Amino acid sequence: MNSCLLCEKPLDDQPTWQQFLGIEKQTSTCPVCLAKFERIDSITKNDQLGSIYSLYAYNEQAREYLHQFKFLQDIALAYVFASDLRSVLIDPKKIIVPIPMHPASKKRRTFAQVDALLEAAGIPFQELLQKTTESVMGEKTRSERLAIIELFTASADIISNEKIYVLVDDIYTTGTTMHHAAHTLKQAGAERVEAVTLFRATGKK
Amino acid sequence: MAGVTAKMTWHGTHFMCRRCLNEDQSKFTSFQCAQCETTCAYCRNCLKMGRVSRCSELLIWTGQAPIYPTEHRMNWQGNLTPAQQKATNELLDSTKQSISHLLYAVCGSGKTEMLFKPIHHLLNEGKRVCLAAPRVDVILELLPRLKIAFPDTVIEALYGGAEVERFDAQLILATTHQLYRFQEAFDAVFVDEADAFPYTADETLQQAVRKAAKANAPIHFVTATPSAQLLAMNKKNGNISILARRYHGKPLPEPRNETLWNYEKQIKKKRIPKKLLNWTKERLDKQQPFLIFFHQIELMELAEPLFQQLDDRICAVHAEHADRKERVQLLRKKEVPGLLTTTILERGITIPNVQVAVIGAEQKIFNKGALIQIGGRVGRSVPNTSGDFVLFHQGITNAMDEAKQEIRKLNKQGDPLL
Ligand SMILES: [Zn+2]
Ligand SMILES: [Zn+2]
Ligand SMILES: [Zn+2]
Repeated sequence: MNSCLLCEKPLDDQPTWQQFLGIEKQTSTCPVCLAKFERIDSITKNDQLGSIYSLYAYNEQAREYLHQFKFLQDIALAYVFASDLRSVLIDPKKIIVPIPMHPASKKRRTFAQVDALLEAAGIPFQELLQKTTESVMGEKTRSERLAIIELFTASADIISNEKIYVLVDDIYTTGTTMHHAAHTLKQAGAERVEAVTLFRATGKK
Repeated sequence: MAGVTAKMTWHGTHFMCRRCLNEDQSKFTSFQCAQCETTCAYCRNCLKMGRVSRCSELLIWTGQAPIYPTEHRMNWQGNLTPAQQKATNELLDSTKQSISHLLYAVCGSGKTEMLFKPIHHLLNEGKRVCLAAPRVDVILELLPRLKIAFPDTVIEALYGGAEVERFDAQLILATTHQLYRFQEAFDAVFVDEADAFPYTADETLQQAVRKAAKANAPIHFVTATPSAQLLAMNKKNGNISILARRYHGKPLPEPRNETLWNYEKQIKKKRIPKKLLNWTKERLDKQQPFLIFFHQIELMELAEPLFQQLDDRICAVHAEHADRKERVQLLRKKEVPGLLTTTILERGITIPNVQVAVIGAEQKIFNKGALIQIGGRVGRSVPNTSGDFVLFHQGITNAMDEAKQEIRKLNKQGDPLL
């Protein structure tokens, strides 16, 4: 029996004809759990990024979700947002670039969460960035964050400039990570860089 | 030892979790692992206790058990009825012979007290005892009573989020999930509320109980609503005691069926269905405390403001509410007239003269056991040894019929005082 990834309750998985025809993917999460996420579709921009698009607010449900996904290493939860991410990111004009993890952190977690989200959604992506330091942004003060010169390096020069490069991360908090990643991509030759994150922490410091 | 093992079968890879013994393949997730750099798999059944996978080592408490003291005081002078006395002696005999025992005791028959004598016997033999229950509520309710009953004994309670100091305590109270931490650790295990609502039979949990007990240790079950499987198992390989009468000797209230059509639609339209409205008004008029059971939190929360128009102190509680216990206490003290609920609430707690209604008794979640447990809230104490137990429904289910028959059968058995 199919059960909800978050609450374990059995799903009413009466196959609909849409699923039968392959138009709609089978659900993995029950409507009750999904309703606890707060959809915001927030779009902002800054000097580096043409747009920063966040799908959901970082509320209690989001906090629990990320805890289970990242801290408890429950990679199965990557499927919860598969169709949401697909509808936003499948676009032939876009090249999807996940915010990378440092190889050592990735080994410890056993998977890179952004790659897992994209793979679950069946979204092709290019690993154009590499992380240079193992440290985490949240542990630093603002001046320390800005002082780090290169957080990422680009693994190749960017040639196809008619494409839009879309950086993807699980959560947008201070914006420093995105800022650095966009900067590195632009240095490597990208002209248009945008960002998509699953969650956005509102009420910034 | 790897946390998750795999063997190849005709049907493909078959995983098993070495911690919780889960073999339900739908509860394993395979993935490309950056740690072991192969296709790895982990168990989602016991994820909350920290993930175990094919490439993680399993940590089980294997510390040497100390030599336990053999002199324990039992500080309990309560009186047992002759029927309770008989049951407790039978349970003690089974314990001495290492035979599994099913104590089938109706709600309100004073089950915990019947465990004291056998537990005391085991402790005095220097044996290690576990009392397991499926829900934290039950553990928290039992802990103070056992600490009073056995004042010299080292007792520790294990449940999700508990701070545990003494894993090696002689008497362990644990939620069934916490038993995963033990292997061949106990000389006897008592499983309380073996068929508790909303807990449904979970084979891996039963295996976890088996794993936590030593090879020849007896496993006893205490329940008001044994499953057919549990009854059959103990008929074959164990002993059974039946307590069909409550301690006050009065019969269990039988449920009464009332149709309530389209209750969901009506509540969504912000109307309390007529019959339910009248039932509630009658309780308010007579100042009888009441519990109204819903099958679903969403529906209950829609109904809450409607009931508050009748009396603004009426409120809803469900298992996740932090102040659930306080609200139940308020009902006991008659500071709130009634509660809406989706859960059985604190099982041990007696609310004098409480009246009970189930909305949507035909819903799947209200199986026979759940209905018997719900009815068990009614008429627990003197002088209010009966009360209304009404099932509002849109069609009578087998579960409703079976619950009624079972209650009748027990009442009949209880007639010629045991
Ligand atoms: Zn759910
Ligand atoms: Zn497991
Ligand atoms: Zn691995």
